[in-house]
Parts: sequence; C-alpha cells; structure tokens
Amino acid sequence: MQAIQVHNLYKHFGKGDNIVRVFEGASFTVQKGELVALVAPSGAGKTTLLMMLGCVIEPDSGQIWLGEEKVYDNHWLIKDPRALRRKKIGFIFQAHYLIPFLTILENVTMLPIINGVPKKEASKRAMELLEYFEIADKANEMPAHLSGGQNQRAAIARALANDPQIILADEPTAALDRKRTIDVVKMLKKLTTDKNVAIVMVTHDESLLPFCDRVLSIENKKIIEKPVTPDMHII
Amino acid sequence: MNLAYKDIRYSLGKFLVTAMGVGMLLGIVLIMMGVYKGMLIDAKAMIEDVGADLWVVQEKTLGPIAESSRLFEDTRDVVAAMEGVAAAEPLTFQSLQLPTPKGPMRVMAVGYDPFGKIDPIKRLVEGRVLLHDHYEIVVSDKTGLHVGDVVPILRHRYKVVGITHLSVSSGGVPLVFVSLKDAQELQFSYSNNRIRSDRARGVEENPAHFVNTIVVKVKPGYDKERVAKDIEKNLHKSVYTKEQEENILSINFIKMASKQIGMFTTILIIVSTIIIALIIYTMTLEKIKEITIMKLIGIPDSKIVGMIGQETLTLGILAFIFANIFAHLIYDKFPKRVVLEADDAKKLFAIVIIASLLASLAGIRKVLQADPTEAIGG
Repeated sequence: MQAIQVHNLYKHFGKGDNIVRVFEGASFTVQKGELVALVAPSGAGKTTLLMMLGCVIEPDSGQIWLGEEKVYDNHWLIKDPRALRRKKIGFIFQAHYLIPFLTILENVTMLPIINGVPKKEASKRAMELLEYFEIADKANEMPAHLSGGQNQRAAIARALANDPQIILADEPTAALDRKRTIDVVKMLKKLTTDKNVAIVMVTHDESLLPFCDRVLSIENKKIIEKPVTPDMHII
Repeated sequence: MNLAYKDIRYSLGKFLVTAMGVGMLLGIVLIMMGVYKGMLIDAKAMIEDVGADLWVVQEKTLGPIAESSRLFEDTRDVVAAMEGVAAAEPLTFQSLQLPTPKGPMRVMAVGYDPFGKIDPIKRLVEGRVLLHDHYEIVVSDKTGLHVGDVVPILRHRYKVVGITHLSVSSGGVPLVFVSLKDAQELQFSYSNNRIRSDRARGVEENPAHFVNTIVVKVKPGYDKERVAKDIEKNLHKSVYTKEQEENILSINFIKMASKQIGMFTTILIIVSTIIIALIIYTMTLEKIKEITIMKLIGIPDSKIVGMIGQETLTLGILAFIFANIFAHLIYDKFPKRVVLEADDAKKLFAIVIIASLLASLAGIRKVLQADPTEAIGG
C-alpha cells in the first residue's frame, strides 16, 4: 500500500536570469510502514520536497498522492491544505519546536482536539504515546523543563497524535547527541512497523542510513533510489 | 484549548506588569476625565450653595464671577420691594492671598450678610457660621486652618469660627466667608493715603457701599423669568436665573478647559493604543517561530488570530482594571476636585475595547503574513 506517490514533479524558484530549477520530472513512491531517508547536498531541494509533500509549497506541475487521495494534479485538488496536514501528516523538525507555553500533554493533544477529538479521548491517546516514548511522567511539565532528547520524543509524540499516514521529518536528530540520535532513529523505525506509518526523513548523517528501509537522493533535479549498504557514503 | 489563556499563564508576571503599566496610563485618562467632572461640579457648587433663584448684576455684564460687576448695596432694598421677590441679599466676591499654615493660599472671599435671609454656607463641617458683623471668618478645610485660629488680612485680624469641606469657587479655588461689611472693606476701602489723594482730586465716592451682586429668592408661584424681566426693566440691571448663571460659568470657565482636557485625554488614549499595539506586536514577534510551526502542522489561522485577539483584549481589560485601582488610589491626592464616575469608566472601557481591537491588528497582520515554510530549515 502506497503512502506517498509523486509523479513527474516540476518545481522552480525565481524567474528570468535568476531562475532556479529544483525538480524536473521527479517521481518516487513511499509505501506504508517504510522509513525512507532523503539525502542530498544542501540546497538540492530536500526541504522543498518535504514542503510540497506537506502541501505547503505548490509545485509547478506533476501529480502527488497522499495515501489513496490525489492531492495535486497540476493544481491543488484539496480546498484546505492545512486541514489535510493536521489530519494526515505529522511533522518532526531539527529542533523539537514544541509550543513553549503548553505543557507536554497539551502540545500532544492540541491537534487532535482541534480535529474534533474529545479532550478526554485526546488526553488518553496522548498519554499512551507519552508512555510509548517513556516520558509519561513529564506530561504536565513545560518543554523548558525537559532535556533535548525528551523534548524531541515529545515532538515525535505530537507528530503521531493525529494518527497520521505520513510523517515528514526534517533532520530530526540534528540537535541530538550520538546516543539520542540512534535512540530516535530506532524509535522512528519502530513506529513504521508498530503504527504502519510512512516516514520520510531528511538527514545528513550517513550512519543512520542502515536503519532506513530505503534511501532516496536528489540528483540532477530528479529523485534517485540508492541501495542501503552498511558502508555507504553520502555526498 | 484556549491558546491565549495558556500563553498568558506561561508569562503571567510579564503580562501583569505590562497590564499595570498600560493601566497607569489609562488611570491618568480616568483622572483627566475626573478633573473635568470636578471642574463642572466646582463651577456649579457655589451657585448651588447660595441657592438663589436670580442673580442681579451690573447692566450688560456677565457678573459677578465671569465679569466684574458693581452695584450699590441699597439696590437690595429696591429689589426686595419688587413684586414676587421673597428675599434679596447682596454678595461680594474677591480673590485673596490667605496666610495659612501651608503658606499663602489663593482663596475667594465671599462677603454676605450674616443676618440676611440667604445663607451661602452649606458645607459647614466644624464650628459655626458668622454671627457678628466683623472679624470672623469661615474657611475651607483645604486651608489647613482650625477653628480658633486667627488670620491677619490687610488691616485686621480675623478669627476662624467655622470650617467647610469642598466649598470652592467656580474655578475650584477654596472659598472663605466673611461678613458683608468686612468684605466691602477688603474689596472697596482704600488706604488712608489713597483716600486723602482722592479727596484732593475732588473724588468723594464712598466705594464701601458697593456689592458685586444681589441674589434673589422668588416667592412661590411667581415666574422667575418674569420677575427677572421686571427687575431688568425697572432697575436697568442684568438679571440671570440660576440656570443661566450656571451656563455662563460653564461656558466661561469650562469650555476652554474641556477642550484642553479633551486634547490630553485623546492623546493619552492614542498613546495607550499605540503602546498596546506595540506590546502585542512584540509579543507576536516573540512567538513568530511557534506561530509558523502551528501553521505548518495545520493549526487554522482562526485559532492563532483568536489567540492574539484574546490576549490583546485581556491586556486591555486588565489594564482597565488596574487603571481604576490606580485612579481610585490617587484621585484624592490632587489639589482640586477629581470626580470619578461610573459613566466615565464605562466610556473608557468601551474605548479600551475598541483600542485593543485596533491594537491587535498589527499582531494579527503579522500572524497572517507568517510563512509556514520558515518553520523548517534546510
């Protein structure tokens, strides 16, 4: 079952002499339950691709499916991209970016409550996630009182709170030390099998690639699949 | 989930201190409104206290307060004999520098006949009214004088026999009361040298028989306007009803002050609005990263804009509450009367709500402009 399908995607920025073509006919798929790494040199368009998958930036042309739903076919087919994001997509960032004035529990329950889930049910689900990430005892703490690793786990819990089909993770371990980096990536991998979500993870850390099911790279404005080998080297 | 409440809870101290600061500014607005109300009340207080139906003054003048007015004292007898007049009494008004324990104080001396039918002293809180023709004085408590004190004024020494509270002239200056005879001497008697000089010039005027106004009480059943017209026609004087006299004082004393205070109040409200807008804008900027994250993960604009709007309104309402507390703590420390009225507070509340909504626009604009792509690096 495919979670993401991208076909013949084009995207450019600027115009005239300053035009920058980022994608020209990019195509790829991500299956449910897959952890896919997206690697490329800085400026190649990794974030742009995540933003297009997240319905934040509009491509020039092409098609995008999220799950069974075709969301883009040379123009957006959805009326409210933000509603789609909060229902189908989870985001994880380099830093945790939890809302500092909300407790950990409130951060995790925010999206489900806005999606219409009753508060009690949202809290129960959030507590399950926090237990899964072993930070249930921090539920009522403010993010400022937690360590970087704990906050990142809370951010992952937030990304999962709305039961997304897809998680878009932009260098989720960049701010973590080695041990926590490995912990988080193992956790993401476990999520793909336990929750059957598809995860696209942008990373510069080649040591994490062996944890991933597949590695996609941006080369010549297209998406290329690279084999995962323990000794692979990323440009 | 109320994001505004959560955000305020998170930075409660900072929020309260900010609201207090804005509240003090708004408190000054309330005080300014109170000063204006105080001036209005002061302008009418003396007229209310005298309680006369008509004020007879020098022809074609707006006397005795707004313009200078001189009448012969015996005009009282003619007025008193006219049809419809129940009582007619002369009054004098004169500004004085009164020696007080607080230093020289500007007061207005009202001269009246202690044995007459119209008593202008209505706010006595200690001692008694005048019982003798000479050398007694009733003073305002603002002077700091006490019953039994002796006050030297010009050639004579006056014994304080009574104390009034909130007894002020139309300009808010404390009133003191002396007998008509003393007042005439204070106002119209010249020094011995001046009298000798006037005699040498052939001037034989006896100015001590002048007064500034004759106040009249009209008999029940008589039309005040009609009696006023009769006096004007027969005596060639200007006569004003109590309402007309109040209007003269309001127009002359309050109009310009009201414009002045109105200008100050408007400027303060504009400054408060700008300050609230700046605070909310700064608070929004501080949260811009979180706002872009919220937009990126799918929080609708309405929720984020609602947070900014609610925070602005809360700030405005808290500032309004602090303004009232502040104004009520300090209003009686002002030298002149400050009257804080619920109606003014209601008006200010409405203004604060409108100003807060306007002030939130800058923050809301920033929210709507925030680009969710900025949330993510790469």
